[in-house]
Amino acid sequence: MQRILIVEDSATMRSLLASTLEELASPVKVLAASNGFEALRLLPREEFDLVVTDINMPEINGLELVSFVKSNDQYRDIPLIIVSTEGSEKDREKGMQLGADAYVVKPFEPEALREVAQDLLSRNPVAK
Amino acid sequence: MAARKSSAKKAGVDKAQREFVAEAEEILERMREDLGELSDQRVAGAEVDPDLVNSIFRSAHSLKGLAGMFGFEGLSELAHRLEDILDGLRLGRIRMDNPAVDLLDEAVTLFTALFTQLGDESYEAEAATRIGELVARIETAAEDPSQPQDSLDPLDIAPMLLRALTEYEEHRLRENISRRRHVLLVDTSFEITAFEEGLSEVSAAIREVGEVVSTLPSPGDAPESQIRFSLLVATETPAADLSARLEFPDTDIKTVLAATAAPAESSAAPQPPVEASAAQSGGAEAAPAETGSGEVPGDGATGKGGARGGDLESLKSISDTVRVDIHKLDKLMNLVGELVIQRSAIARIATRLAADPTTSRIAAELFKTHKGLDRKLKELQASVLDVRMVPLRQIFEKLSRVVRRLQRDQSKDVNLGFSGEATELDKLIVEQLVDPLMHVVRNAFDHAIEGEDERVSAGKSREGNIWIDASQRGNHVVIEVRDDGRGIDPTAVREKAEAAGLVEPGQLLSDKDCLNLIFEAGLSTATGVSGTSGRGVGMDVVRTNLSDLGGIVVVSSEPGRGTAITMTLPITLAIIQTLIVAVGRDRFAIPLNSVLETLLIDASEIQRSERRELLNVRGEPLQLQRLSDEFGLDAPPQDRHYVVVLGLGELRLGLLVDRLDGQQDTVIKSIQGPAAQVRGIAGATELGDRGAVLVIDVSAIVEDSLRRRDAA
Repeated sequence: MQRILIVEDSATMRSLLASTLEELASPVKVLAASNGFEALRLLPREEFDLVVTDINMPEINGLELVSFVKSNDQYRDIPLIIVSTEGSEKDREKGMQLGADAYVVKPFEPEALREVAQDLLSRNPVAK
Repeated sequence: MAARKSSAKKAGVDKAQREFVAEAEEILERMREDLGELSDQRVAGAEVDPDLVNSIFRSAHSLKGLAGMFGFEGLSELAHRLEDILDGLRLGRIRMDNPAVDLLDEAVTLFTALFTQLGDESYEAEAATRIGELVARIETAAEDPSQPQDSLDPLDIAPMLLRALTEYEEHRLRENISRRRHVLLVDTSFEITAFEEGLSEVSAAIREVGEVVSTLPSPGDAPESQIRFSLLVATETPAADLSARLEFPDTDIKTVLAATAAPAESSAAPQPPVEASAAQSGGAEAAPAETGSGEVPGDGATGKGGARGGDLESLKSISDTVRVDIHKLDKLMNLVGELVIQRSAIARIATRLAADPTTSRIAAELFKTHKGLDRKLKELQASVLDVRMVPLRQIFEKLSRVVRRLQRDQSKDVNLGFSGEATELDKLIVEQLVDPLMHVVRNAFDHAIEGEDERVSAGKSREGNIWIDASQRGNHVVIEVRDDGRGIDPTAVREKAEAAGLVEPGQLLSDKDCLNLIFEAGLSTATGVSGTSGRGVGMDVVRTNLSDLGGIVVVSSEPGRGTAITMTLPITLAIIQTLIVAVGRDRFAIPLNSVLETLLIDASEIQRSERRELLNVRGEPLQLQRLSDEFGLDAPPQDRHYVVVLGLGELRLGLLVDRLDGQQDTVIKSIQGPAAQVRGIAGATELGDRGAVLVIDVSAIVEDSLRRRDAA
């Protein structure tokens, strides 16, 4: 079963993201972190196949998390989607420059997010 | 309200929507608090805390996202405008005195009002109008002169770090550069399994002197087990000084941009118009705002994410700790206390029933029930108490930081050793213990420990030593602070005390009594005994603090060898067992944890010596104090008395009362009004149907009596 890590500080949004991703065609296990620190602690614990992160968060922000994942040999290959509220174009650009694989604007259409997620998961179908 | 779009429908709208409402309410509450703080800071004319503005921005941002997700377009639109203003503020595009800032409160109020009406269709048209009006006003008020921004590339920062800065963090960096602060890069590594505590210590230490602009994680030297954080820091403290403050292992500081002394007009960064008030009052040296409180206490720990069906396990937040306001625990404790009183009432009813043969069988059953209830209540009480308990380790860590800092400032080598850091105390007591303990340790450092040369010539080790030992003894915790410094000379203290008029010349005092004079208000002020005897400022404050907590402090010392300050504290203030005593018609409660024993004596056994009354207890003289004298009560002479032997640390006092009236679990309530000022009274408590009684402040009575003896 493929594993997805959601990093999102809003509980409601976390819940929505999770329920959206749990309805993917292939069965997945979804884990959620409520901030960047939790994500940093979760990353080494499980082998993730996809990370979905918000940008504006306390402690360490989503860009910093992207940078960490993409600069780390262990995690570099995990596809990463930024899900963030429309607004800061610059932050979005930066996220992509840092190596994020996709960007989804909040509010998102569940179907659209699932499409992007499914696409990224199938590019890397074999769980490491 | 606008019709809901379909976005969230498939995701189980009702349940999710309830979560949305709950979370949005939390966010609004936090915004109200933050806006209040913002308004306070603006009124005070202080530089507005950038973290505070950012926190409000994040709230508006979250609201916008949530409202949009659920298709509440009106709400989303309003949140969007709020976010624009706040984004402008935090990025320095809008000035703090912009009229739009005044509309923030109004917008939050409107938001709250709309929320309470959510789903009421008759209200929706009106709501849309009100939102429209406010949005229009905000648009008129806000200006948006976009600032040309210089590149940050010339800075000596790894491109990776620059690229991970959000727009806001970039702005903070520019802002700090334009204020000519040093820009430093603090690299620090931790074991990946336990980085949070260490990182927050480093961040907190930095925030004492500057701003943490960003925190970038990267793999450590051993990527499997270590994690490195690069903190971009803006501060007025140069790298060398910051490095001295941060005595953390594996921490490295380098200067990215040194602050330039002379303001160059053609500065690399544009002068942003934000924080105009600070700029007028001489901006450049304005200290960076205290940032500790800026973090939004996210909902992380309690994460409600798992509430939805499906894979419940996977959604649980991985932290299993809940932060609770201590006052909620107080309330819980009060409730337990009241239950305990109810239980006592049941016991009394059972006793009455037992006295009557016709109801004695019911009484027996009631006793049995009472016993079961009693057991469970004790468990409940212990569990609630347990939640309030925190280890002393936290304070000890603070103390070692302070000592490290003192060492640097005074270039004096002192080892600080601990034992018993796992000893637990009520959270409230721990909080209030920090100051007195800090005080005692500082005194030991400043005054007791001699300079290096003096130590060496006295045949001592070059470095001084301070030990802090904590241990639990019954219902008390004893904390002892020892040093191997120069000790206190009782004669010197006595001379000071005589000069201050605290002691009559010729008055008989033991060395121990002399030493304890350091806790007198008149003696331990600024002109105290420092230098000659090694004790400085404010030991009277320490005694007052301890006594407020129902504890005591005593000192012992050997001149030339060292000093020990011993503090004895009750484990908790929340619920205690008391002994009810009576004098004439008055009754009092005495905390049982201070009662060593009770004796029944004949009036003839009381011995008088000078103006004191003594009792011979197993060969030792015990000083007596009549409770009736203490509070000026009518007490008809009696042939027999009860003596309640009070013990606090090493001190003993026999309290003479007429009767003992049983034991009782009590919750001490503080009292208002004139009685609150009476020394010797710690509060009041309820005895169920037996009315209320005053609770005796044992530490005050013991200390006062012994002092009177000394002064006699």
